[in-house]
Amino acid sequence: MKLDKYLDRSLWVFHLNTGSCNGCDIEIVALLTPRYDVERFGIKLVGSPKHADVLLVTGPVNRKMLPRLKLIYEQTPDPKAVIVVGTCGTSGGVFYDSYNIVGPVDKHIPVDVYVPGCPIRPEAIINGVLKAWLKLERVRGASASSTEKGQKTSA
Amino acid sequence: MIGLLETGSGYWNAITWVIMVIAVGAVVIWLRNHGEDKYKKDTDQTKPFLSGNPEISKEDSHVSASHIYWGFTEALKHYYQPLIKLHTGNINDYSGWIVLVMAIIFIVVGVS
Repeated sequence: MKLDKYLDRSLWVFHLNTGSCNGCDIEIVALLTPRYDVERFGIKLVGSPKHADVLLVTGPVNRKMLPRLKLIYEQTPDPKAVIVVGTCGTSGGVFYDSYNIVGPVDKHIPVDVYVPGCPIRPEAIINGVLKAWLKLERVRGASASSTEKGQKTSA
Repeated sequence: MIGLLETGSGYWNAITWVIMVIAVGAVVIWLRNHGEDKYKKDTDQTKPFLSGNPEISKEDSHVSASHIYWGFTEALKHYYQPLIKLHTGNINDYSGWIVLVMAIIFIVVGVS
């Protein structure tokens, strides 16, 4: 029996800005305000990727942020989901092919959910988080059922 | 020493205290062994999170307790480093600086 099986129900999110103009970041912060209040669902922003289930990435990925993006992705424990928020992270947006841009995000780390928009609406982010949640539920369910099968086989 | 010490607000017993430490310790170890174990060992997941920056060596990150001006000198290192280079400890260099500065002063005073 593992306690984390019963303790990991809430979705914790780590937000990483890879060079965004802060438009998307302001919309993410709007999710925490009383109007949207995602914390009532247990979804909250955390200060370390080590505590996160989801990596929420904004910005087109500039050269300075690339090694940090990769390191933070590696430091996020598995199973994890990556959500790219905003047009810049999805495709490069207005910074596409710029001299200092090495994005978009999916060029360097695997992305599960894209939420395009400039900036995105908070409702769209909530929808993206729900899709990431479904992915995590699927992965966790698969790993749990494979563990149970393994236990039955060994028994 | 082992006996029961009674006070107005309760009692103290060394044997009870040791038993409680062992019992609580056992519960803590049990909880710890049943916690998160999905992280990948010997990868970046076990290294500290420093805002995405790489971990520097212990030697480079060491700040001695006596060095209370570390933040001050670190912030002003671009100012201090050229000054440190100028301080060679050679009296001939210092004499040369005096002659040079005096010459500049005389020129400035003489021109004005």
